[in-house]
Amino acid sequence: MSEPRIGVYVCHCGFNIAGTVDVKKVAEYAKTLPNVVVAKDYVFMCSEPGQDLIKKDIKEQNLNRVVVASCSPSLHEVTFRTAVMEAGLNKYLMEMANIREHCSWVHHDKEKATEKAKEIVRMAVAKARYLEPLEELEVEAEQSALVLGGGVAGLRAALELANYGFQVYLVEKSPTIGGKAALIGYVDPKTRGAEVVNKMFEMVKECPRIKIFTNSELIQFSGFAGNYTAKIRVNPRYVNEKCTRCGECEEVCPIDVSNEYNFGLNKRKAIFLPFSNAFPPYYAVDHRVCVKCGECEKVCRFGAINLKEEPKIVELKVGALIVATGYDPYRPFKGEYGYGLHGNIITLFQLERMLDPESPTKGELIIGGKIPKNIAFIQCVGSRNTTPGSREYCSRMCCTTAINNAIKIKEKYPDTNVYIIYKDIMTYGSDESLYEEAGKKLVQFVKFEDKIPKVLITPEGLFIEVFEYTIQENIRIPVDAIVLSIGMLPPRDLEELIAVTRVSCGTEGFVREAHLKLAPVEAPTKGLFLAGCITGPKNVLESIRMGSAAAAKAMSLLSKGKLKIEPMIAQVSEEKCSGCAICVGVCPYGAISIKKVNGDRIAYVEKALCMGCGTCNAACPSGAMQHLGFKDVQLLAQTRAVFGEVR
Amino acid sequence: MADFEPKIVVYACNWCTYAATDLAGTSRMSYPENVRIIRVMCSGRVDPQFVLQAFADGADGVIVAGCHPPADCHYIEGNYKAFRRFELFKKLLEAFGIEKERFRLEWISAAEASRWVQVVNEMVAELKKLGPLKKNLEVKE
Repeated sequence: MSEPRIGVYVCHCGFNIAGTVDVKKVAEYAKTLPNVVVAKDYVFMCSEPGQDLIKKDIKEQNLNRVVVASCSPSLHEVTFRTAVMEAGLNKYLMEMANIREHCSWVHHDKEKATEKAKEIVRMAVAKARYLEPLEELEVEAEQSALVLGGGVAGLRAALELANYGFQVYLVEKSPTIGGKAALIGYVDPKTRGAEVVNKMFEMVKECPRIKIFTNSELIQFSGFAGNYTAKIRVNPRYVNEKCTRCGECEEVCPIDVSNEYNFGLNKRKAIFLPFSNAFPPYYAVDHRVCVKCGECEKVCRFGAINLKEEPKIVELKVGALIVATGYDPYRPFKGEYGYGLHGNIITLFQLERMLDPESPTKGELIIGGKIPKNIAFIQCVGSRNTTPGSREYCSRMCCTTAINNAIKIKEKYPDTNVYIIYKDIMTYGSDESLYEEAGKKLVQFVKFEDKIPKVLITPEGLFIEVFEYTIQENIRIPVDAIVLSIGMLPPRDLEELIAVTRVSCGTEGFVREAHLKLAPVEAPTKGLFLAGCITGPKNVLESIRMGSAAAAKAMSLLSKGKLKIEPMIAQVSEEKCSGCAICVGVCPYGAISIKKVNGDRIAYVEKALCMGCGTCNAACPSGAMQHLGFKDVQLLAQTRAVFGEVR
Repeated sequence: MADFEPKIVVYACNWCTYAATDLAGTSRMSYPENVRIIRVMCSGRVDPQFVLQAFADGADGVIVAGCHPPADCHYIEGNYKAFRRFELFKKLLEAFGIEKERFRLEWISAAEASRWVQVVNEMVAELKKLGPLKKNLEVKE
């Protein structure tokens, strides 16, 4: 590029800058700096006449760099980039000098502030001399998406995407889709979780653009936004679509294991149907426990079972990935509020399941063989630092769920006393009405503060000892059954998920969004979106909404058919690169690899994967790797200019 | 050294610390004029070479600032890269004879404008006590 011809434009911002900084002096000073052809001040540079001033000079004075000394780039970088572009200049040839937020607004001494503003302008001019034109690139985007996790959030996302016209691959690791919402009893007093899920199943069945892989895992994920390649391992189900769900196989199976689909309320066989409305509607063999005795294969009259089935690997091309792999319920340790020491101490998930009409008790409240006369919920188990193994956060759903089920119990068994032993009641939003209703139904609320309640297992029965906060007294409640309102944990296989997809963990152990307010439901890697409880505790409704939101984000990314790639990314000088691969290890996005060029090892940047952090540039020992827009020469020139020298 | 005004070069990450310095402005907070801020996208971009350059050119102090660990970094783990580099670098600086008070690695989130102001005030006060960087860095034959 030819010799720099720089125009400097100093903004008054009304009195915001001009009230503290002598803008005329700053402009006069700018004229003395090397390569500055013109320097002007104006009352509002961002206004149309202000922008026109810049555009006119670019054309008339043949400027090839522009420095705007005004507010923070976070406010008007886009404005001025567009302005210079409209005047025919590459938009990356504009640099901003922040003399408002960094100077006039934080300093009061006019002389000192003016001197500082001059120096800030000098630093910007020094950098501007080294600016280069950069070009945005475009890549084709696959019109398809992979949804990982078949719970309500994943199902919702898949439906939105498919309805829009995208091909969707839904990958679920268990033998049925539906997630935990399919198992819990009532999501609100009138709606069963299973009903919500069943309706979603109907929609999914009618949608030809959703391909479902159950018993499947994502084992490899590579590429970049718009062009990802996903490798799926489809584990054998050992049962095919000839299955009529007659159940004869189940009777001959010799294996008994705890039934996770009833949260351990009963046992199941190695060959089993997860729940009556499971989808796909066939039995499945749990390969982890099956001993391959072959009894089921012999008894099946339809030839639906084949224990010799092998895992399959499927490769898919997708434009985006939605991670919706959900949560795990908190696992109380043995002895936590008596858990595991007495059969009548169960978890909230078990109770919810029990009250579902399809549960082993057919929806009846039967604990320890009979209907309890006194039942107590203990809240915040595993949440809000209440118990030793617990987490800091509130799990959001447990208060409403406990109250919802307390109401159900009161409606069905009016003679049963229900206690809710709580720290604070968090029935936020419209759920507050449930809290009121529970009060009307005479559910008894017992509040504790710092001292956590004690569960006593005695020959006379179960007791809860609690220091009641409102009456400031120790009380002892005799109960027949205790429900521990357990919260939510990040899923157990989170580490594998992180290794494969490069999503990252937040402080609470769940996957974090790129920015809670400015980039919600997005993962830091472009083209990856998050939905449901993988980002933290949510109720069913919130998870479904997040599924929709993630799908909308994926659609807005892919629907144009082409993706723009931000040009302020890493670039390798092939001459300087020695192929040492230090950059490969520091890149958080796996965007750099080593390639052979004419027999030499050279770092290669996958442009669409690079997010432009520049950490490879800082790590490169030979200066071969440069962060465009923040190159070594640019930042060093800026650093030197602090001390007067522009070179 | 009552009238000594130290010069501090700041490398601020775009997403957290630079935003905090902006917030200090929009909140009309007040702090001494001694800092010159250079925007980088991530604290992981800051090459120790820049810091040495700044000291060689006349900086009395340098601040490298980014997003809070563990998880505030916009680029997943750039703050850890900065942490690893500059914890080691601090030892090197001492070996050069540059007092450890002259270099700070700080985590300042986009909301922590008051923390930013505090860091500037503290460092300016410390550097005024220390005086200008003695530039007897040339190796004598």
